[in-house]
Amino acid sequence: MSDSKTTLQSPARSVPLFSISRVWTLAISTLTQLIRMKTFYFLFAFAVLLLVIGNFNFASSPAQALSTIKKVSFGAMDLFAWLFAIVATALLIPRDIEDRTLYTILSKPVRRIEYLLGKLGGVLIVIGISLSVMFLVCAGMIQWQEMGYIADEVSASPNGISDETRQAILLIEKNGFHSDLAVAALASFMKAAVVASVTILLSTFASSSLFTIIVSVLVFLVGHAHTMATNFWLAETDNNMVVQMLLKLFKIIIPNFQIFSFSEGIVQGAALVPALIWQMTGLTGAYLVVFLLLSLLTFVDKEF
Amino acid sequence: MKALFQKSPRWLLVLVGLAIFGIVRAPFEEHTRKKLVDSHLLLPPPAQDAIQQMSQSALMGTLGGLRTLVSSYLVLEAFEHFSNKEWEELRSAYAIVTSLEPRDENHWRDVVWHLGINATANMQLDETIPEFERKRRFNEYALLAVELAEQGIAQNPDSAVIRQQLAEVYREKLKDDCATARVYQDLVGLPEAPQYAERFAGYFLAKCPGHEQEAYDHLLRLYYEGEHNHVASLIITIKDLEKQLEIPRSLRITEPYPDLPGLTQP
Amino acid sequence: MSEPAVEVKNLTKVFSTGLSKNYVVAVDNLSFEVAAGEVYGLIGPNGSGKSTTMKVVLGLMAASSGSAKVFGLDSGDIRARNEIGFLPENPYFYKHLSGEETLKFYGKLCGIKGSELKDRIADLLKLVDLENAANRRLGGYSKGMLQRIGLAQTLIQNPRLVILDEPTAGVDPVGSRQIRDLILKLKEDGYTVFLCSHLLEQVQEVCDRVGIIFKGRMRREGTLDELIQIDSQTAMTLENASPELMSKIHDLIASDEAAGIIEEGHPRTTLERLFIQIADQNKKEESA
Repeated sequence: MSDSKTTLQSPARSVPLFSISRVWTLAISTLTQLIRMKTFYFLFAFAVLLLVIGNFNFASSPAQALSTIKKVSFGAMDLFAWLFAIVATALLIPRDIEDRTLYTILSKPVRRIEYLLGKLGGVLIVIGISLSVMFLVCAGMIQWQEMGYIADEVSASPNGISDETRQAILLIEKNGFHSDLAVAALASFMKAAVVASVTILLSTFASSSLFTIIVSVLVFLVGHAHTMATNFWLAETDNNMVVQMLLKLFKIIIPNFQIFSFSEGIVQGAALVPALIWQMTGLTGAYLVVFLLLSLLTFVDKEF
Repeated sequence: MKALFQKSPRWLLVLVGLAIFGIVRAPFEEHTRKKLVDSHLLLPPPAQDAIQQMSQSALMGTLGGLRTLVSSYLVLEAFEHFSNKEWEELRSAYAIVTSLEPRDENHWRDVVWHLGINATANMQLDETIPEFERKRRFNEYALLAVELAEQGIAQNPDSAVIRQQLAEVYREKLKDDCATARVYQDLVGLPEAPQYAERFAGYFLAKCPGHEQEAYDHLLRLYYEGEHNHVASLIITIKDLEKQLEIPRSLRITEPYPDLPGLTQP
Repeated sequence: MSEPAVEVKNLTKVFSTGLSKNYVVAVDNLSFEVAAGEVYGLIGPNGSGKSTTMKVVLGLMAASSGSAKVFGLDSGDIRARNEIGFLPENPYFYKHLSGEETLKFYGKLCGIKGSELKDRIADLLKLVDLENAANRRLGGYSKGMLQRIGLAQTLIQNPRLVILDEPTAGVDPVGSRQIRDLILKLKEDGYTVFLCSHLLEQVQEVCDRVGIIFKGRMRREGTLDELIQIDSQTAMTLENASPELMSKIHDLIASDEAAGIIEEGHPRTTLERLFIQIADQNKKEESA
């Protein structure tokens, strides 16, 4: 405390225009908050789900069993990622406002964009960690099952590997684990990141977490109907002008979440097209930047 | 400008921002979507009739990006129908599953297997159903399996597994050797075709009336391709055809007749 | 004369309520200054505009008209935030953090790092007497402890101005005394303290100057002595006065027709009386 008297005489300290270290501090604090809220416990539920699916007695072939395990586990990963993105993001800012933690944060030299970025960053780090853990668990489970099925095929042909056995093994391998699945997890991350950015925009408007969660889930669901809107509704010539206009407005305003579902194709074994993956990464980045800027537009002079 | 910004309601500015971003991204997204669909990374929207058949929750799940989860659930439900021998319900479940994931050959293969093999076997054995009805339903399920296999092949032109399952239905249930031969022949050259497909095409062609010479030429070509094709069934079939077609002794293969019980019938 | 720590000039803050376009004037043409190094108390009943004024000074709200400056910087200027340490009423920090982690978090937000931050945290934990609870999560802190860690948080970047909103609200008498002592320590160390409180006794104990605000308007302002002095009355505090002396004094007063004893006894909180007087006056004005 001895230096405070000298501080009184000092001029106002300058504050950098943007500080990545402040964003990082906020992101790490958000990460700690979510960890200590025991959000990672759901990973146990995920592991149990995988164990149940892995030990389910599928009537058909090992290939179908592996395919189902993959689909269910990656589908669950995708579901968790977007749901978590909505709930965690919707809870963080309104909670800071309700608890007045926001007062103490914003009364420090913290810019509002740094606060928003920190919160979003924290949620994305948690989603990234969770998806990585789930991916590793999935990979282990699928490979373990795959090895088991192959061993069964081999032991079923004691007189050497026949054409049919070789064929069966190939089919098992085709439906088993492949490294492209990591990109499927990345696709789920991209979708979750966009959902989180939409939720953060909504939470700057909304007065409660519940409202933000409900509206975000609705936007997410409706955001999957883009192609259907084009194919079925806009093609209907007997629709009146107002309906047509509203549909066009919907297509423009609501993010297209359907195109972020490309993890499904990867899980089903479609070959990766690197250029398309890069395009989707770029699109995710664009969504994040635009939605954050729009959030800032509301948040910058929001009064608490 | 600053005053205008400060006076305008924020929601209006955000809406304008969203609209501008929407207009800019729409063409890019549509272009990317088409490319993703073309490269099979993205699934096209489910067919209208599948949407109409879906329950509300399944439809919500499908629209909400949970397509694979919904279809996996329906596959498990179909398994339950299979256990209870509820073939019509199984058929309806797979109608949705194959519409949700038309490019998953496993679904097509499974529905063909369930209807073409299991349902028909059930019709052969279920004595609670009158004889004439069992026969009618046996044919109905077998032919339905064929139809579904063809739909599956149309969606997955390179699929070997669907064709293998189709061949089994023709071979084991419809006893149509000509069609079986045709399907095995279709398999030849596909990326995941089994090595035996070409030989099997020959075996069943040999049983297809009027195609014996064609079968003989086909199998002889395989025989001369190399030692790896000198399997018992191939030698037996060639020798049978040599007799049937009265091939001169000098042109017949010199391989002795294999004495392996159980391998005379391909 | 040095630059004032806080300079509020003709500040008006108007809120619109709902969609009906009704307006509420929370702060009405308010002006005051807090000099560097002094302890200034803003007192007023609930809804009088104290918190709104504080939020404008903190840059959490924009003024509808007028201005608020902190050491010459506009309150919206982010640099002003470096000069302010703020303790809100009933502060809720992240319950998942320990006392030490909380200070580390706020210190990092202020750009303090490494050994400087470590030393600062150690100093502050000692100052607020929470060294033994440093590693406990805030979820397990009592109200008084929370208030003290909050006070440590306000000082983390060594600000020149400390703003305290109801610093002893809901705190037990012992905790309240600890906080009062801390404020006195801040004053001694030369910090400028701007506090809002309805605990008038406490304000009187620690403040150099006081502003009384009602319905968003400043009703009275000045040093404590100025405010509580009643020109028509004279108070005398006697020490070791014998009953005989008291009897003589009473006789003397009785001999003067104009003079009389209004009150006799131990000294009381006169600021409280003044506050109530202003409140009554305000009520009369309203009914008129």
